[in-house]
Amino acid sequence: MSIPTLFKRAILTASLVAAATASAQDIKLGYNGDLSASPSAQSGQAAVLGMEAAIADINAAGGVLGRKLTLVTRDDTSAPPKSIQNMSELVDNEKVSAVFGPTNSGNAMAWKHIANQKKVPVIGNVGSGTDITKPMSPGADNYMFRVSMVDREQVAALMAYVKKNTSQSKVIGLMAETTGYGQGGLKDMEEIAKLQDIKIAGSERFGVGDTDMTSQLSKLKSANVDTVVVWAQGTPIAQLVRSMEKINYFPLVLTSWAADNITFYDAAGKTLAEKPIFMRTVSETRTPAQQKLFDRIGSKLKAPGSFSFALHGYDSVLLYAAAAKQASSVDGNAVRLALEDLKAPVQGVLKTYEKPFSKTNHEALTAKDLVWIRWKDGKLMPYTDPIVSSLAGADFKQ
Amino acid sequence: MTEALLQAVLSGLAVGGAYALVALGFSITFTTTKTLNFSHGEFVSAGAFIGMSALFLFLGLPVTSTTFGQALPGAGAQLIALAAALGVMGLLGWLLYVIGVRPFAGRPGMAWVMSTLGFGVILQSIGLAIWGPKPVVVPGPVGDSVIRLFGVGVRPQELLTLGVAVVIMIVFDFVMNRTMVGKAMRAVAANGNVASLMGINTNAVMIGAFVVSSALAGLSGFLLAPIAQASLFMGLTVGLKGFSGAMIGGLSNPRGCVIGGFVLGILESLVNLWSAQWREVAVFALVILVLAFRPTGLFGKQMVEKV
Repeated sequence: MSIPTLFKRAILTASLVAAATASAQDIKLGYNGDLSASPSAQSGQAAVLGMEAAIADINAAGGVLGRKLTLVTRDDTSAPPKSIQNMSELVDNEKVSAVFGPTNSGNAMAWKHIANQKKVPVIGNVGSGTDITKPMSPGADNYMFRVSMVDREQVAALMAYVKKNTSQSKVIGLMAETTGYGQGGLKDMEEIAKLQDIKIAGSERFGVGDTDMTSQLSKLKSANVDTVVVWAQGTPIAQLVRSMEKINYFPLVLTSWAADNITFYDAAGKTLAEKPIFMRTVSETRTPAQQKLFDRIGSKLKAPGSFSFALHGYDSVLLYAAAAKQASSVDGNAVRLALEDLKAPVQGVLKTYEKPFSKTNHEALTAKDLVWIRWKDGKLMPYTDPIVSSLAGADFKQ
Repeated sequence: MTEALLQAVLSGLAVGGAYALVALGFSITFTTTKTLNFSHGEFVSAGAFIGMSALFLFLGLPVTSTTFGQALPGAGAQLIALAAALGVMGLLGWLLYVIGVRPFAGRPGMAWVMSTLGFGVILQSIGLAIWGPKPVVVPGPVGDSVIRLFGVGVRPQELLTLGVAVVIMIVFDFVMNRTMVGKAMRAVAANGNVASLMGINTNAVMIGAFVVSSALAGLSGFLLAPIAQASLFMGLTVGLKGFSGAMIGGLSNPRGCVIGGFVLGILESLVNLWSAQWREVAVFALVILVLAFRPTGLFGKQMVEKV
């Protein structure tokens, strides 16, 4: 080995060591969710864009505890085994201080025990499955938090609407796709209908890839159902309203938030897309802070509708940073306790979070933070009517 | 009630049309090479995306667009897209045969099952790399407004698919049973070596079978895209249901395949009318039942091995 080569190698080694020590001081955050494989990948990509923006802002303001934040992303391609593997890798190899994601509720259910065992806080910013943030056993330390939509909160609001809408909603039907998402929603709908004392006249299912649901709708039609609450993904909801057109049957339709997907709008077509009412965390009328973020990352979004996930992603990182500051540590348990008892309000892009979490509540966004939405001319516009404006806290039962 | 029943039957026929087309695709390779393309479903998805990309190019949009928006391609564009779907998929079928089937066909073992499956996985991954996972709504060639017949609603694209399935069935039935090409195909299936000795170019016949079968997958994808939306996962269910239809009707009989597809579609629709959560159970119970009593399907010819 010649002297210059040796010299070069020595410099290389030294710089590698320096780089390693420098990055060791960074606070690593992990993202584990779908970035490529299924339609939910759009939501995951948007969440990551939001998180990156938040990290850039926090780092520009000096970081957390004098350290910079960095993001390690892992694509789980919507597959539970891959998602579990990612989780172990992020926690054990990358030594991340917290994990964000996933896109698919089922994947969160598949690895939430890992987060709880290894004491790594997780802040979900996409998946909306109700059970994700429940503790493993009653009263156990719970590391799963969320800044996103929650299925049960939506169901609570939709059912409250149905209950109040006595003039129009006399006979109620439920419909759901046969996936985990649909069946979970159906269970929530049935339970809350019981709480609200709403009688269900018919409960129908359909496959996620079905192109024709006229048979199921014919049954509801012959039972004189005037209001249908639907739990499914965007594409099947579109097929459902298209099937309604086939048999010329248009009851009042309330759906899961998946109807906000541009695929739903495209597939249903303008007229039919404007039928359902649903809920979201934000409409397309943006606050100045939201507009600022949209101007930064909007061009990178695959679909403008997925911007809500960027907002969730942004706020989830802010909340983590606030908790780490309060705890003066990135230790998992300390951050969890800080999250459950945040002293100072956190100014997010969705809202200002005042004590967003507690020991028992791990949802930053609840029914009263959600907005009613209906498509109008290709935009997700706020929807209002006398029932919506009259809904008060006591109406939401869950 | 009659209206609901009529609607269920018509809707079932519409869905069954798609199954029938896929079932035909399975039938062609089986009747000539005694092999099946297990990634036929992925080929259907690929066909949909080829057709869609051709439409995008025709409208001057980038291939990787995710929406047509308000743009509506004309009849000429649709025809070119159809030709593209048929041509590209036919070529892919030829490629599949050369690298995935020929080395293994006729040999003992099941290597071709794995190689055709693998080919589908490769196709899907390439598709994901190019177009991403988002489903795309594709405008159909015959419009989208509901047609009403006796108070029953159906979309023109569904009628088109149904019609095409029947026409293709008639053509195949004729070719297989009445022409020299059909005889050659059946001869190759029965005994490749003897057929070859009789002066039949077995290689050409087998290539032809895979090209036609894959082109048919392209056609199915092209016709299905406006109904189900073009998605790289759309072929999975249709592929499985189409195969089930072929098993019910008889893999070796084009007429049987199409009838099997329609039977499956109507059965699904009727079960939906009763209780939709039992649909898959009913469908596959029927498949098992048919295979138990008639292993070659309802219309399949008995396999006679002459020794």
